[in-house]
Amino acid sequence: MQDLLQPIMNGILLGGLYAIIGIGLSMIFGIVKLVNLAHGDLMILASYLSLVFMMLLGVPPLVTFVFAVPAMFFIGFVLQAYLINRVLGKGMEPPLILAFGLSIITQNCLLLVFTPDARSLISSLSVTTIQVAGFLNIPVIYLIDFLIGLVVISVLHQFLQKTYMGRAIRAASDDEGAAQLMGINTKNIYAYAMGIAMITAAIAGVLVGMTFTFYPHTGPQYLTIAFGVVIIGGLGSMIGTFLGGIILGLAQLLGGYFLGPGLQLLSGYVILLIVLTVRPQGIFGRVT
Amino acid sequence: MKILQQSRWILLPVVVAALITLPLWGPSYWVLFILLCSLYLAMAQMWNLLVGYSGLISLGQQCFIGLGGYTLAVLSVYYGIPIWLSILIGGVISVLFALIISVPIFRMRGVYFAIGTWIVAEALTICFASWDYVRHGMGLFVKPAYELSLNQIYYAALAMGIGSVILVYILLRSKLGLGLMAMRDDEGASETLGVEIFRSKLFCFLIGAFVTGLAAGVFYLYQIFIQPYTAFSITWMVRLLFIVVIGGIGTIEGPIIGSIIFVLLQQVFAEYIHVGLLLLGSVAIIVMLVAPKGIMGTIQEKLGFEILSPRRK
Repeated sequence: MQDLLQPIMNGILLGGLYAIIGIGLSMIFGIVKLVNLAHGDLMILASYLSLVFMMLLGVPPLVTFVFAVPAMFFIGFVLQAYLINRVLGKGMEPPLILAFGLSIITQNCLLLVFTPDARSLISSLSVTTIQVAGFLNIPVIYLIDFLIGLVVISVLHQFLQKTYMGRAIRAASDDEGAAQLMGINTKNIYAYAMGIAMITAAIAGVLVGMTFTFYPHTGPQYLTIAFGVVIIGGLGSMIGTFLGGIILGLAQLLGGYFLGPGLQLLSGYVILLIVLTVRPQGIFGRVT
Repeated sequence: MKILQQSRWILLPVVVAALITLPLWGPSYWVLFILLCSLYLAMAQMWNLLVGYSGLISLGQQCFIGLGGYTLAVLSVYYGIPIWLSILIGGVISVLFALIISVPIFRMRGVYFAIGTWIVAEALTICFASWDYVRHGMGLFVKPAYELSLNQIYYAALAMGIGSVILVYILLRSKLGLGLMAMRDDEGASETLGVEIFRSKLFCFLIGAFVTGLAAGVFYLYQIFIQPYTAFSITWMVRLLFIVVIGGIGTIEGPIIGSIIFVLLQQVFAEYIHVGLLLLGSVAIIVMLVAPKGIMGTIQEKLGFEILSPRRK
């Protein structure tokens, strides 16, 4: 039983990180109605940006948020305003293919610039653990992931509920036509929404870089994690996204514990396929 | 253009005859080129059938590519079963797998269908990479394929390429094809008029799985080496998507043009794979912005030029 507590603990903490990875995809899926197949790759782009700032300025990884977050907001805003907005409303395939193209471009640019070597954002935080109750070893970085995850989700929730921009974003997502009639420039709102989604991707990217190693082609792997979180948690629910992250984290680590580390990802996929089949709108999703 | 269109029933047989006799007069580089074009064409034409005509955006065609390739490798290497029979069984196994996953997958719609099929492929990658029987991630060599000459593989590939075009042409001009196009344009209205949506979609999905599995078998005769991370890779979807999008989604000629352009680019950038992929991504985006219907789709719209029309006059 004590052995089992360790993967459960780690799974829950990892869930916080998964929630940040998923929330950006969920926002864009819900608001722009776009499946951003490049989400994972853009997140890894943020990891590399952080790496560059770390090497240039010699600052610890957590400080690179200051640079990575605005940079990713800008990238997201420009991508949405000048590329993705142009293909919206032309059917289902064009935006999907555009995002797929972006994913390929990001991956191969990273590969050309940074070579396929494994990288990580190393700091003393990545190796420290706290011992609890004599047998539980909690890696400090997992704890940080979880806490930042909680903060990001609650701040985003408050932002969408309380500010004018947040309300405008929700209005544009509920009914684009009605929002336009109320004087909201929905295309502009979409660009801001993508910018905000990329802020979450930047935060996720830095944390992923601190927690795991990353390569130019790890993006799709995190995209499937983001899908997992969104599908298990359901669209349009912040709490759902957070719990979705935790369920996926638990499924992976418990799967790894019982079936061996090679099958850790598989158990996550199986849970995902079961949820997709039984309850396509997600466990916490609203029925539309 | 008009003349070209009117004389198509003379031109098409000439082109086909030239392709069939190619090994007799052409350099072996051309043979290789057409071989690759034909195989990509067969796989892309099937994806086109799913996306362009049935509205099933599958991102998991690599399931069938991997299964077709692995069936060939396992049966011919481990059990000494003849190569062509192994490839055929590979196609059948792909269909069976498609039938099994269709039960959960067809409950999903649109984007969820796309994600679901992709996740199935990712799960298959892990299964094959941790399966002792197929030597984990180390992969298998299809050694019996060394006995074949390039020409034998060429004719198999050509048969797949031309066969896939004829198959889609016949399918689309049949009652099923009419139903499919009605369904793509308006699902609700076509269902009211008696199109059996579920059965038509499932039929296309199974046909797609079968042909893709066969084409993959022939592809791995040429490739010799199969490994789970490449066989079940999403890179396959990148290629198919590029071919169909550039050529024109929902046109029969599109994948033909697309696969020629794709193999050409692949050959030119053979030494700089990443630059080549970068270019593929950029071209796909530019085509989506400028001419979302692709090369053939735009030509059809602007000039009314069609060589193989699914429409009956």
